[in-house]
Amino acid sequence: MSLPTLGVIGLALYLVALVGVALVARRARRDLSPSDHFLAGRELGAFVLLLTLYATAYSGNSLLGYPGEAYRRGFSFVMATGFMMAIIVVFHALVPRLRPLAVRHRFVTPGDWVRHRFGEDAAARALRIAVALLMSVALANFLLAQLKAMGELTATVTGGWVPYAAGVIGLAGMILFYETLGGMRAVAWTDAAQGLLMLVGLGTLLAWLLGEAGGVAATVERIAALRPEALAVPDAAECANWFSTIALLGLASVVYPQAIQRVYAARSARSLRRALAVMTFMPLTTTLVVTLIGWAAIPRLQGLGTLEADSVMPRLLGEWAAVGPFVAVLAVLVFLGALAAIMSTADSVLLSLGSVIAEDVMGRPRQDPATTRLGKRIAGVVTVGAVVLALSEGLTLWGLLEVKLELLIQCVPAFLLALHWRRLGPAGCLAGLAAGTLFLAAAGALGVRRIGGLHAGVIGLAVNGAVAVAATGLGRLAAPRRAA
Amino acid sequence: MQPARLRARLRAVLLVGVVALFVLSVPWYRAATPAGEEPARWLGLPDWVAVALLCYAAAALLNGAAWLLTDIEEGSDEGGEG
Repeated sequence: MSLPTLGVIGLALYLVALVGVALVARRARRDLSPSDHFLAGRELGAFVLLLTLYATAYSGNSLLGYPGEAYRRGFSFVMATGFMMAIIVVFHALVPRLRPLAVRHRFVTPGDWVRHRFGEDAAARALRIAVALLMSVALANFLLAQLKAMGELTATVTGGWVPYAAGVIGLAGMILFYETLGGMRAVAWTDAAQGLLMLVGLGTLLAWLLGEAGGVAATVERIAALRPEALAVPDAAECANWFSTIALLGLASVVYPQAIQRVYAARSARSLRRALAVMTFMPLTTTLVVTLIGWAAIPRLQGLGTLEADSVMPRLLGEWAAVGPFVAVLAVLVFLGALAAIMSTADSVLLSLGSVIAEDVMGRPRQDPATTRLGKRIAGVVTVGAVVLALSEGLTLWGLLEVKLELLIQCVPAFLLALHWRRLGPAGCLAGLAAGTLFLAAAGALGVRRIGGLHAGVIGLAVNGAVAVAATGLGRLAAPRRAA
Repeated sequence: MQPARLRARLRAVLLVGVVALFVLSVPWYRAATPAGEEPARWLGLPDWVAVALLCYAAAALLNGAAWLLTDIEEGSDEGGEG
């Protein structure tokens, strides 16, 4: 049986299983409250929490974008293992302070923290809405990247039997179905299964690739003959970009709404601590593996263009499946693992988007079942918009990831600085956020993505933080005069 | 010293170690490879790539230990809130 046939059968079975999970999750719900729908009633234990964090963090970007970028850049993309690990390091600045407050005050969305920390005056409300809007735009961009990855993977592995557009529309519809029906429970349970599939699948593919090539040393030898510049020690600008990417990923990823909501959703502090302790090793078992796959593709798939490089993974799966029927089944498992990882990220994004827009942007009450219904409707509208955009092509997956993170990183002071600096006021924080975002927009309008290797978004964050601190200081100086 | 304080100090030391490993992982201290030459190989990889990977493996061990030493209170209302 050929890979396309096996791919279609595997896809059909997987989708049926997802419908089953959604129905079971719907039966398990306690009530219609946002807390139950968006946070699974705050009862995620260490194991499910670990796998849902894992499947959410490792997305279409990791499975298609990272091998593509490793193929394009060569060995300097070893930085990917570092920047994915940096996320779990930066969580030290967020989790120990945010988690106790989230439990005590029953936070559901990131905006609940902003409301609690800064109050309800005009500047605080404007800050909460600004943070929520930035998060929403970044999340919509993230969703778009996942939809593109789903379409590409499905079309390649089914040999075009399921075309790109049908893959995008059909799978987006499926995500919307199980997320609407089962909420965070359905998302977390499917994430857990998807995380396991991904781990096994990637390991098997890498073992085959390295076995075929004669090991890591032989692969490096062939790359040296084809692209010797890929082995060179990076220059100063590339090293600056390496540091900048670690800062960008590490800082921006901890303010992902879906990551913050998993901190809220943990059953206990102990579960959260254990899950994060294990998560720190996942870049070595996943990011490093997909990076090695991208490097191994350099001699196997020569001459791919910038956009074509994102399809390194499905092309390798196609080659692998041609070895024999047993291997074809394994290749379909890898395909399902990759698709599962992408869908698990997309479903988490969609769930967070619904809650952030309903509560933080539109100001709906967090305990009202009507807010849950509104969140579901918003998720539907956003999905339709993202599907339309995903049907037009242009940016690489890595390009989409960078744009999203550079926006999201402007929210960092409202969380990390606010958690650690009591004096930070809402007006100062809002001024900083506006300055950082304007800097980023101006750089984008001028076509400047990096300055001396540093991302415009990382420089924007420095501007953002400096303005927030200066404005807070000026505000405190002016306050006694006004009082006098 | 009380066990909680000892844990907090040990955690801080581990996190400083993690940051140092991240700084070491980037080959900013190495001269760029001249055109036509190749860096030495170690463990089958260019040496600077092998160093970066070893740094990340060590950082994972230290960070994992730091998380196990992290005290997270359940439901207390403390921190930087204004």
